[in-house]
Amino acid sequence: MSWAQAILLARGLSRGWGGICSTALTGAPFSQVPPQAPRGLRCSAVAHNPDSSLVPRPPEPARRPVKALAVHEELFRPALDGTRDKANFVRAVQNFAEYNVHKRGHVDFIYLALRKMREYGVERDLSVYNLLLDVFPKEVFRPRNIFHSIFIHYPRQQECGIAVLEQMENHGVMPNNETEFLLMQIFGRKSYPMLKLVRMKLWFTRFKNINPFPVPRDLPQDPVDLASLALRHMEPDLSARVTTYQMPLPKDSPDTMDPTETHIVGIQSPEQQSALARHDPVRPIFVEGPFSLWLRDKCVYYHILRADLLPPEEREVEEIPEEWNLYYPMQLDLTYGRSGWDDYKFNIDEVEEGPVFAICVAGAHDQATLAKWIQGLQETNPALARIPVVFRLSGSSGELLASSSELEEPPPPPPEGQEEEEDSQQRQQQGQS
Amino acid sequence: MALVHKLLNGTYILRKCPKPRVVFCPFWRTHFADYCSSSFQKPVAAPGKAYSQRKTKGNLEEHHQREVALEITSPEDKPEISFDKAIKEEMKGHFRHLKDDIVNYWIGPEGRPLHEVLMEQAKVVWQFRSKEDLDKWTVTSDKTIGGRSEVFLKMGRNNQSALLYGTLSSEAPQDGESGRSGYCAMVSKILRGPFEMKRSYDWSHFNTLYLRVRGDGRPWMVNIREDTDIVQRKDQMYSYFMFTRGGPYWQEVKIPFSKFFFSNQGRIRDAQYQLPLDKISSIGFTLADKVDGPFFLEIDFIGVFTDPAHTEEFAYENSPELNPRLFK
Repeated sequence: MSWAQAILLARGLSRGWGGICSTALTGAPFSQVPPQAPRGLRCSAVAHNPDSSLVPRPPEPARRPVKALAVHEELFRPALDGTRDKANFVRAVQNFAEYNVHKRGHVDFIYLALRKMREYGVERDLSVYNLLLDVFPKEVFRPRNIFHSIFIHYPRQQECGIAVLEQMENHGVMPNNETEFLLMQIFGRKSYPMLKLVRMKLWFTRFKNINPFPVPRDLPQDPVDLASLALRHMEPDLSARVTTYQMPLPKDSPDTMDPTETHIVGIQSPEQQSALARHDPVRPIFVEGPFSLWLRDKCVYYHILRADLLPPEEREVEEIPEEWNLYYPMQLDLTYGRSGWDDYKFNIDEVEEGPVFAICVAGAHDQATLAKWIQGLQETNPALARIPVVFRLSGSSGELLASSSELEEPPPPPPEGQEEEEDSQQRQQQGQS
Repeated sequence: MALVHKLLNGTYILRKCPKPRVVFCPFWRTHFADYCSSSFQKPVAAPGKAYSQRKTKGNLEEHHQREVALEITSPEDKPEISFDKAIKEEMKGHFRHLKDDIVNYWIGPEGRPLHEVLMEQAKVVWQFRSKEDLDKWTVTSDKTIGGRSEVFLKMGRNNQSALLYGTLSSEAPQDGESGRSGYCAMVSKILRGPFEMKRSYDWSHFNTLYLRVRGDGRPWMVNIREDTDIVQRKDQMYSYFMFTRGGPYWQEVKIPFSKFFFSNQGRIRDAQYQLPLDKISSIGFTLADKVDGPFFLEIDFIGVFTDPAHTEEFAYENSPELNPRLFK
């Protein structure tokens, strides 16, 4: 029987006894719903699943169908009157310690608190985890002789400790000295939670800085700031400039969604500017999008302005000017004709794509907003006035979320690579800027 | 041992004419379907129609949109497919590849002359220029354990890259024992030689993995699996992270092999060993970053090369605290 099932059984039993004991001791309100037999954690929710499970829905908020409350759930209930934040959570945890001098049912309480952390928004707070570990009675679970240390001493509590640490690991919270001291006091040095802590300290420090494109943990809430962060993230050229073409209007009444004014933020580097100036007005340039960019857990949609690749015959050949001084040559070719072992190039033609001239992040993905972006770009790129701009948009952003659920047709095209489907529609969407 | 080096070439020949397989279609294709776990797969040739006379490539292109329930192998097709003929074709194919193998052995390792192999510094291992290249990969998602993520693989723009896209959903399946869910993976199929012998890649001359990808900012995990003949090694793999930048530009990802850490059954192990490069069975990409939503990854090619500036042998040292036995 796996430990999850053991815990469920324990919960079922403790509901019977713990509830009664706690009422007897404390006189706290007793849930009138009779304790239910241990079942799967969420099996009452199975009936709610719609049949069309093939369409991935956005994650739903945790719905709680009517069922027996967990043992100490009433401790979290008074907080519902106010807001759910750290202070209420801390108060609930401290209430448990007050009502329960002997800390009966602390394992269940800790599991419950771990589940509730996300609602209260404290899942990344190390002090809250330390407080939760503080709920364990100290010095009781430490092995005292060799027989204790051979067998897993107090396995359920050790599993609970591991569960706390695992949730810390899932949210990327680094434990500190206080955590280590608490675990040492509670479980002793050779216990599994302590081992897990050692592993966490080792691997977290090893993997802390391996992201070559780090994204700050606290993303800005303002859409314009988020857009400029996203654009800077995407553009490798550091001399590129971010320009805000339009700021969002402050919404006066929360009911009316005013779609006319959304933010438009664009980025362009000087090289792209010069490339656009050199672009042949005969060839159209395309506005493609929206493509998705994920920054931690926020998705930002961006559009790009690009041109198609020139066919080989039209590519201009760079002229090598004649060397006017052999002592200070302008071209220095130092390949000394080494043999095959010095060839680090891959034997494949890289995917060639047309140049990208600018990227923008806009609140709306329709042609009007993007046309405003093009107009804004025209101020710094006067050549843009003569070049035809074709909008190749992939439809509303709703299409990106719903993958295909039909078997008959091929899955709807993802953001990139829609030329064969979109060309027919986009011909009538040509805009002249 | 003699046959080990051959079969890059041999296998590609095998892949280019899957003729024996599709003629043998109803049974082989079901086998194939089990291999690819998700039902919304990249294109699989539909054998159920009476197209047995037309050979494979035609099949692949025509039916690339249709995913038929493959267990309905219509019995009325059998008279058109000659069972004996199919078996004979299959056998002939295998013997032909065996002959190629042996001939290649005399030419050199992997069918190429020795000096070419020794002096090679950069090698393209997987490229995505045609549909056959997509057949070398399998996509899985957590649908196998009851989750709701979906993943698809198709050729990208202009047939020049492969696009792996889908939706990740970290809703845990309601089976009472999984607490977390939400992963999508693309794994390469194991190299096969004649008579479906398992082959492996030998990358001992190289020290860095090179990928040219275009992602959407999500962090992926690259897993390399060793030769899986030994059953104790069934769940062992070496992994590292690949961070995509997002954006419209192609990104080159270079991961030295010294950075791969060892894990078994999905958990990082305390005792870390260097990735042995001479018997590599498959490579895979996993996305499991606990963020729900659509994702995509466009891959141009995957190669290995020798980075002369990289001299590290192994990035992780074992600690005496976690592994006292290693330090006795």
